[in-house]
Amino acid sequence: MATMQLHEVNTHGSHIYNNPRHGLRITGFVVLVVALAAAPLVAGEYQLHALIVSMTFLLPALGLNLILGYAGMLSFAQMAFFGIGAYSSALTAMRWGTPFWLNLIIGGLAAGVVAVPLGIPALRLRRYSFVMCTLGFAVIAQTVAKNLVSVTRGDLGLSQVPRPRIALWSGGFEVTGITSYYYLALTLAVLAVVAFLALVSSAAGRYMIAIREDETLAASVGTPTWHYRMIAFALSAVFAGVGGSFYVHYFTVISPTVFDPFYANTVLVIVLGGGVGTVGGVVLGSFLFVAASEALRIAPDLRMIAYGLLLIVIVFACPEGLLPLFMRKLDGLKGRTHVA
Amino acid sequence: MSPDTLAALSIRGIAKRFGSIVAVAGISVDIKLGEICGLTGPNGSGKSTLFDCCTGLQKPSTGRVYAQGLDITGWDMHRIVREARVIRSFQKAVVFRALSVEENLVLCGQMIAFAGMASTFGVGPASRHRVRRLREQAGHLLELVGLSHMRHATAGQISFGQQKLLQFASMLMPEPRVILLDEPMAGVNPILIDRMMENINRANREQGITFVVVEHNLDAMKALCHRLLVLSRGELIADGAPDAVVRDPAVVEAYLAG
Ligand SMILES: Nc1ncnc2c1ncn2[C@@H]1O[C@H](COP(=O)(O)OP(=O)(O)O)[C@@H](O)[C@H]1O
Ligand SMILES: [Mg+2]
Repeated sequence: MATMQLHEVNTHGSHIYNNPRHGLRITGFVVLVVALAAAPLVAGEYQLHALIVSMTFLLPALGLNLILGYAGMLSFAQMAFFGIGAYSSALTAMRWGTPFWLNLIIGGLAAGVVAVPLGIPALRLRRYSFVMCTLGFAVIAQTVAKNLVSVTRGDLGLSQVPRPRIALWSGGFEVTGITSYYYLALTLAVLAVVAFLALVSSAAGRYMIAIREDETLAASVGTPTWHYRMIAFALSAVFAGVGGSFYVHYFTVISPTVFDPFYANTVLVIVLGGGVGTVGGVVLGSFLFVAASEALRIAPDLRMIAYGLLLIVIVFACPEGLLPLFMRKLDGLKGRTHVA
Repeated sequence: MSPDTLAALSIRGIAKRFGSIVAVAGISVDIKLGEICGLTGPNGSGKSTLFDCCTGLQKPSTGRVYAQGLDITGWDMHRIVREARVIRSFQKAVVFRALSVEENLVLCGQMIAFAGMASTFGVGPASRHRVRRLREQAGHLLELVGLSHMRHATAGQISFGQQKLLQFASMLMPEPRVILLDEPMAGVNPILIDRMMENINRANREQGITFVVVEHNLDAMKALCHRLLVLSRGELIADGAPDAVVRDPAVVEAYLAG
């Protein structure tokens, strides 16, 4: 039997079950959503743009968190699924003028459907081989996007992708202003987080955690481990595909650069830096890392270096990610108030 | 040799080789429904491997395994638990260390409460009700094994003996017919050993669960088991009443030699 747990993955994913901070987390989530909803009152266009990008990256990050933090497998295919979602959604919208909600579904489904035939052989491999398989897949996806010129227009990419059209089917109105985009992104992010929380606190989520913790032990209590790893992998692709769909209708262009390792690394950094196996950590990670990389655009030459340095600092300072660090700080404060 | 269709487990010519190592050398034995059967033998005599072959962790090199006449040879582990209701414990992996004591039990009961795969994705009132029922059942079992006060503790942080009791309670959650215990008392203090034996006896008496227990502590085995099997170098060298088996010269020699 393939053993695929990443033992170095930390274990606070289970906090959803045994969690004295449950109330705190819900409060934190509500406060964050309210603050984000109020952001357009104070934030300028550029800040709103950075927030939109953050919330777009949150989706593939949640997907990676599912497969890595809950099912215990490292995948580099997230941005490939993001790209597949973006391309399929853009192409259907350009050809048939499909409305926004349908594009999101198409983007998500396209990614999920591609994940299944990839997962069938890849999930039977041991963990390092699985990682290599997902890397290879990302390269193949980029090659296809570059060379299937009749469909993807190759390196030129697709441009003038329709903006999101909010309608049941035809008609409706088109989203154009940055504030409208922002609220659309916020709605999507909130829905994604709620869906993610529902999933990981369901019986299926408990099975995924069991697989991450100990695959053999999980199977011994009746978990069809292979099926749930497959489901986690396909759902992680769906999250990424939906994110890709939103991305393409926001930027209205897409090219094979979306498959560059830089983006795949960003998603990895969001999840590992924020705190794998946690939801709050991934939300935090999306805002911090995307905002940081956007802010660093002012000095384009230094951007990649600064980003790399930031990564190294985080890995050394808090290997479990930022969220656990914040939580410990919080606990430390509490301890002191008790003593005082 | 045809299987005994009434037997809880009917093991027919099971052998397992790892390269040139013969871990199990062709064993045939019937475990009767409702018995507590001890399995002992020196380290490396093939006890765990025999369990592995009966529960799908290893595919036997040759031979077949039947559970009440159902041929389960080569089935995946999760299917053997679900469909044949044969469950086993491990020597090393004892509990899900990151989950709470209660969540360990809920997880183990899921295969009954959420039998279909689609139902495991439910988050509505029906699912919450099922989980509540599992928690109640868990609470009841924790009381029986004496871990009620640890309900919300993280399983990895309770003592090893308590983990073994939790492991035992976990195995009762999916309502098994047969439980294979791999060294449930090794490394456990004497008080918890007594409690473990009590629990095995109770589950056997009240729920009619068949047990096969691997254990080196022969005094415990004499007190607990209806029957004792002894393995040596992958072969079954004795099978009978515990008192008689421990006096068997072949068994004494195997232990001295092993
Ligand atoms: N996965 C494996 N690969 C190779 N050899 C193994 C494996 N599992 C067990 N063995 C060998 O098979 C023999 C029986 O081991 P085991 O069943 O663990 O014995 P016991 O449980 O009675 O102590 C030992 O010699 C052991 O080294
Ligand atoms: Mg053993």
